[in-house]
Amino acid sequence: MNGLVAALAVGMLFAIGTYLVLSREQINLILGLNLYSYAVNVLLFTSTTLRSGVPPIIEDKQAFAGEITQFVDPIPQALILTAIVISFGITAFLIVLFNRRHTLITNYVTVELPEQSFVANDPFSPEAHYLTGLDEDPEDYDWLEDTLTLKT
Amino acid sequence: MPETTLNPNWLAAPVVIPLLTAALGLFVSYWLRLRVAEWQYRATLVGTFANLGVAILLLVTTLSGERIVVQVGLWEAPFGITLYADALSAVMLTLTAILAVAVTLYSRGTLDDRKRLNYYPLTLFLVMGVNGAFLAGDIFNLYVFFELLLMASFALLTLGGQINQINAGIRYIFLNLIASLFFLATVGIIYSTVGTLNMAHLALRMPEAPRSIQLLTAGMLLIAYSSKAGLFPLFSWLPDSYHTPHPAVTAFFGGLLTKVGIYALFRIYPLIYPGILQEWQGLLLVVAGLTMVTGVFGALAVNTIRRALTFQIISHVGFMVMGLGLAASDDPIASAFGLTAGIIYLVHHMIVKTSLLMAGGAAEIIAGSGSLLRNRLVGLRQLNPTLTFVYFIATMSLAGMPPFSGFISKVSLLQGALNSGHWAIAAVSLIVSFFTLMSMLRLWQKAFWGKPTLSASSVSPIDEPLRQWLTLTPIAILLVLSLALGIFSDRYFRWSEVAAYQILDRDAYISAVAPTDAIEYVDAYAGAEHE
Repeated sequence: MNGLVAALAVGMLFAIGTYLVLSREQINLILGLNLYSYAVNVLLFTSTTLRSGVPPIIEDKQAFAGEITQFVDPIPQALILTAIVISFGITAFLIVLFNRRHTLITNYVTVELPEQSFVANDPFSPEAHYLTGLDEDPEDYDWLEDTLTLKT
Repeated sequence: MPETTLNPNWLAAPVVIPLLTAALGLFVSYWLRLRVAEWQYRATLVGTFANLGVAILLLVTTLSGERIVVQVGLWEAPFGITLYADALSAVMLTLTAILAVAVTLYSRGTLDDRKRLNYYPLTLFLVMGVNGAFLAGDIFNLYVFFELLLMASFALLTLGGQINQINAGIRYIFLNLIASLFFLATVGIIYSTVGTLNMAHLALRMPEAPRSIQLLTAGMLLIAYSSKAGLFPLFSWLPDSYHTPHPAVTAFFGGLLTKVGIYALFRIYPLIYPGILQEWQGLLLVVAGLTMVTGVFGALAVNTIRRALTFQIISHVGFMVMGLGLAASDDPIASAFGLTAGIIYLVHHMIVKTSLLMAGGAAEIIAGSGSLLRNRLVGLRQLNPTLTFVYFIATMSLAGMPPFSGFISKVSLLQGALNSGHWAIAAVSLIVSFFTLMSMLRLWQKAFWGKPTLSASSVSPIDEPLRQWLTLTPIAILLVLSLALGIFSDRYFRWSEVAAYQILDRDAYISAVAPTDAIEYVDAYAGAEHE
């Protein structure tokens, strides 16, 4: 029964995460990615037997004779802890990137487009490059920054 | 633990050395108020050269057929962390170390490190993650090191702070993170069904697991790894992001990152899923063929020099997977030959692709633009003859001209395919080689021939003699290495054969790591406590 509930929870989280990741809003992308990592964490959690009230250590070492029902497997908890830290770090980095992108776009927008706000919120849009006015060719890297400082 | 001539604790060094030197560069230079970029560069040089020394030591040891295993903290195999190295790991470690040295020198020549704070420590963190992935003995550690190298690569990719770098970085992070989470979900499913994460233990238990579980986990891992490696339907993140950062970063990524995914495919499938690998031979060969074809047509279609070169990475990853596909045969000789050819191609590609991306990047820096349409990147033959020569050699090696390593790698793959009767993939690889040459000649004609539009007195960032040397020497060193591998191709082939046989010898892997069984261990422990 516990397993069924957990499986449904994992499925729901994956489904909602997919819906959000497919959207075009920046905040939805971050939330969707986080829901994905929650789903994976719950999946990792269910990889051991789900029993309530049992600790992940052997409480009475003297009386222990190899019955694995006395404790739950601590490995999945360690895995989840690692996975949480990693996804937390990457989420923080992504938020910084989105913030930087927002700053650049709001400071450099020179072209008036009808759906400007729509495109500005979409990092996957190919037109996003043209909004900045920094670069004529979206495939080309802007060398201005380097050439100005290296040699005078 | 098997007897080795080398102290097995050296295995920790490829992870520890880059970590320590990166920390040195990050913290000490700030504390002592030194010139930060300068001292970070020096620390990185020390770290990469030390890393190279250790990698060569490991390579010499493992090429004699030994396997080096460390159980960290002396915890028995399935319970603790296992570090494992055989010839394939050592070859990859050595190549990573060589590329790290070359890219560090090249960065010094081309990049203004005052504008890119902490660039050098970040490359060391990337090297640490890659090395750890090559040494991991259980799949959860493989995941962790994948994430470490991805985190460093995210930061390197967006270090310039330009808008196109950030847009590319967001795409790169999203698609890679979803692939990583897929990998992690597979780890969870494997642990809940087979009950272990250690690769040797998995190699024991997975063939006895129900077929549905084998198919599910093998398929999910294939999706995760092929997304990392840039295989056919899942490569879109690669050409969308690799051309945006500084050329030094592109060269490093192009040489290293996708190859970690290829390494994981080479390591996991023959070891853990030998039966499924044989069943999926057709699938792997089809994916390999499609990857080659899409990559090379992409390279013909785009109009930026580095973008074309990164599309060729995809095409070449297809060649490596073709080696794995040929290895997925029930004939042991054909299997070993296919894997040998795959490893040969892997080594050749890492060296030549990095040098080519470095040379292309230098051309882009001199011209001030990488676009073939802007009429700036023209006539470099007159502006910089040395660079032109180096680029030409790299092109010839990539296209597979005889004295270089490209020739033997393509010939051995073709021979493997023809010997085992896979005519279709052999034909596809020949056609793709032709188109590769065509796309290279297109870049060559547009960028190097013709009359330069820039005047000869125009200033480029790498005009100073020292910068010029630092830019061109690493490319030349890598090309000399490619030439040496092509000339001494008998030895090159034999070493790759050692690595291939070590990968295919599952029993030796299992007995080298020697995973114990959980129940016996707990019983012995309880008995000792009672006495």
